[in-house]
Amino acid sequence: MKLLDQIWVQNLCLIAGYGSLAFLVGWGMRSERWLSAWKHLRRDVTGMISLGVVLLYLLVGTLESIAVPSLSGGRSLLQELTSSIPQEKSYSAPLSKAALSLSDPIPLLGRHLLGTDALGRDTLVQTLRATRSALWIGGLTSLIYIPLGVLLGMMAGYYKGWVDDVVQYVYSTVAAVPEILMLVAILMVLGKGLGSMAIALGITGWVGMARLIRGETLRQVERPYIAAAKAMGQSNWKIITRHLLPNVMHLVLIKFVLGFSGLVLAEAVLSYLGVGAPVGTASWGTMIDASRSELSREPFVWWNLTAASTALFIMVLALNLFGDSLRRAFDPKQGL
Amino acid sequence: MTVSSLVMTLRKNSRCLALLAAVFSRSSSPCLSGAMVALGAFFIFGCSNNPHPEPLAKVREDGEPWKVRYSALPEDPRSLDPQVSYDAVSRRVLEPVQECLLEYQPFKTDPYELTPCLLLALPERIERTGGGITYRCALKPGIFFHNDPCFPEGRGREVVAEDVLFAFRRIADPKVECPALSTLQDYIEGFAEMFEAARKADSFDYSQPVSGLQVTGKYTFEIHLKAPYPQLLYWLAMHFTSPVAREAVEYYDGKTHDGAARDMFRFHPVGTGPFQVAEWKRNTRIRLKRNPVYRTTAFPTEGWDADREALLRPLAGKALPFVDEVNMTVFRETIPVFLLFRQGYLDEMAVGKDAFSSLITPSRDLSEKYKERGVALHRDVEPSTFFMALNMEDPLLGTNRKLRQALSCAFDAKSNLDIFFNSVPIVSEQLLPPGIAGYRKEFRNPYGYNLQKAKVLLAEAGYPNGKDANGKVLEITLDTTGGSANERLMAEFYQQQFEQLGIKVKVVENPFARLMDKLDNGGFQIAAGSGWGADYPDPENFYFLYYSKNLPPAGKNHSRYKNSEFDRLFEAMATMENSAVRDGIVLKMNDILAEDVPHILNMHRSSFRLSQPWAPRIQSNPLLEGGLKYVVIEHGLREQLRTQWNKKPVWPVAALLAMVAGSALLALNARRKS
Repeated sequence: MKLLDQIWVQNLCLIAGYGSLAFLVGWGMRSERWLSAWKHLRRDVTGMISLGVVLLYLLVGTLESIAVPSLSGGRSLLQELTSSIPQEKSYSAPLSKAALSLSDPIPLLGRHLLGTDALGRDTLVQTLRATRSALWIGGLTSLIYIPLGVLLGMMAGYYKGWVDDVVQYVYSTVAAVPEILMLVAILMVLGKGLGSMAIALGITGWVGMARLIRGETLRQVERPYIAAAKAMGQSNWKIITRHLLPNVMHLVLIKFVLGFSGLVLAEAVLSYLGVGAPVGTASWGTMIDASRSELSREPFVWWNLTAASTALFIMVLALNLFGDSLRRAFDPKQGL
Repeated sequence: MTVSSLVMTLRKNSRCLALLAAVFSRSSSPCLSGAMVALGAFFIFGCSNNPHPEPLAKVREDGEPWKVRYSALPEDPRSLDPQVSYDAVSRRVLEPVQECLLEYQPFKTDPYELTPCLLLALPERIERTGGGITYRCALKPGIFFHNDPCFPEGRGREVVAEDVLFAFRRIADPKVECPALSTLQDYIEGFAEMFEAARKADSFDYSQPVSGLQVTGKYTFEIHLKAPYPQLLYWLAMHFTSPVAREAVEYYDGKTHDGAARDMFRFHPVGTGPFQVAEWKRNTRIRLKRNPVYRTTAFPTEGWDADREALLRPLAGKALPFVDEVNMTVFRETIPVFLLFRQGYLDEMAVGKDAFSSLITPSRDLSEKYKERGVALHRDVEPSTFFMALNMEDPLLGTNRKLRQALSCAFDAKSNLDIFFNSVPIVSEQLLPPGIAGYRKEFRNPYGYNLQKAKVLLAEAGYPNGKDANGKVLEITLDTTGGSANERLMAEFYQQQFEQLGIKVKVVENPFARLMDKLDNGGFQIAAGSGWGADYPDPENFYFLYYSKNLPPAGKNHSRYKNSEFDRLFEAMATMENSAVRDGIVLKMNDILAEDVPHILNMHRSSFRLSQPWAPRIQSNPLLEGGLKYVVIEHGLREQLRTQWNKKPVWPVAALLAMVAGSALLALNARRKS
């Protein structure tokens, strides 16, 4: 996992992630179905607002992800932008003037809209920085599980027979292992880190995608256009990539968006369990985990939990709403 | 009312409720049903919220009220076998049950002082020709083991020197796994050989003579040492060397005899202490009752500070113990402890993080609300030191003293204590904690927190602004345990502290066992969370952590510190009696460690504790593990204040009755209409 800790590797992954997304959208936009869906989506107010929220998160996550080696200690752009916000000694309530939990309460160096955490860091900045962990996990895991799920699902659906049997046996076996146990086991072997977490989630997360794509492929191969392609002597590879793949890509897109929210939640859950984000990495799950002891203090520290849960809630809600809008937009019954 | 206390209350009143339920189920009249519900509610609201079971007796034989001490345990004891028990919780339970040959004077903690307990007097030291030392000891006659079924007719027999010999044999038995063996075998004659022979034969011969311990009479025995080892006296004040009845070990074998299952000895200690185990509900509660044949010690007649004269003088010379029963309840969470203390159902408690702010003011005083209740606040400093171990065999840290000094200067221990420990512990300036001979109150760590100095030292170490000559940022690995959110936050704090120097710190989170492995095999650069609590109040017990012949895995020199001058001084100091010369050597050793920085000092652990007005704090010697025989309870005051603090509110019952009456009227009305 040491490679993933390198700044240049992280930046490269970021470019690869955005590149993949752009390629997916650009490639899809060549299809009439995608263009029509986009028309529908533009008329869907909820969908467009959700998309806006998701893009906002994407922007914040990107600012935190761009690590510039020349800046002090390879800090992120977001850290540089917020460097004027001072770090206090420990907890302080939102907009308060003095620190909490110190033997000699001292005046704060600045005002903090959402207060500060145990180490005196601005809660709002920490919440924004944690977006990166969520996006990295969502993005990296998608890069792993989508190709894997799509490839195996299409192979199983297209070739049927023993290929289908093998793929079904494999995913049934993987699905039979309790997911959280498998995740923790993989993370124990790979060690802590966002990369390890993405690999663990990718290994366990492709089953749903493979099942979905297999079902859709089974349906598509019965359609006349596939029979025509076969009759014209096209190779299996061409049929899969040129005819089948474009016709299942809308499902991939919808599953990607809906699955993204699940991955963001999974990151928070794993960090909450202590096997997620490593020390020094801002994460909503870690913030929520830390609040377990903060809530039993008197006066209790509520702002870290509130900020992290709200950010998580809004992101997951926006992703789910956007996913629903996408599904509606791609639905043939909508008037295609 | 807490959930646990509610459940206990319901259990207590289960008979009433069962009766009510039976009547209720047979009644067909809504009026009667309503009345039954109201009555049931009345019973529930009318019960006590006392979570403790009824005391073992109401009054003593002399007609005085039966006095019970209520306290909390954070977990169940692991073992009450005196030759095995080593953790603080087990020792706290074992301390009132199993007496030692010597004990600590309860009021003298600076310096600590040993007094005879089962022995008639402190052992007589005799120097033998050839460098060996003999300690001549005599047991007090007329001390009896607890009455227990392991003895004929259940009556405890007298303690004799053979019982001490049996305990020493158990220490050398590999199957007992006594933690004291590794140290004692270096000094007591024949111990190492006995252990090795038993290990090879896979059995220990309890009939063989022990050359290191010779029984010279019914009550007298001699301990023969290969070399001077004055710390032996401290070992005689620990449970490892307590006399054990062979009958008890053989009787409590954990097997079934004549259809009756017997406990294992580690769950059923048979000692000579002021209390004996009356009940042990695993993971729930331990109850100790007064030993009726106890007559070993009386309350001291001197040693306390002048300001405690009024409280302690009336107790001087009185027979111990003062209470009849000790009730220790296991609470894994700290909030129920606080709530029960507030209700008066616990006599003392440690102030945890959860309730800290409501109990303690920013000036570290007790809050007014609790002062008005008569609660007293005590600050206990443990003889312990916590630090980060630096690996002296690491090619980077081990060879660059300036770098170690820079790291030490970058660590703000006070902020660490402010943030994570409510500023209760003391920042450690030296390895020795307060109370240990050689501790210098005025000494300041020359490499304590000073960020500017740290940066200068780092530059001198060859890393100006945290970068080496090639401009590469210095990277250091910090190993820590990462089980909880708090531990992770703490690791992040350490990381931030060191990264202020411009270096990069990689934090590796380990399960506890993994970190221990790394400490043993040297696979770390900096290991957070290392520390040592005193087994006995002697500088040797701390400086041995840096003695080069004490390297892991057998020893505890986790920093792998090797310094021939330090070793020479340690060897000279370790076997000396306390004296001015010894103090001088200890000071030199302290200075060597301070300059060499094989560790980054953090804190001497201390805690706040509260005691109720009816249970004034008698002693606070941390090496006594509670000193339950000295505890005093004012029974009448407790009853009075408990009643006052737990007044039952009337309105819930009234509201419920009104609700039930209203619904009954509605039901009657509906019935009339139909």
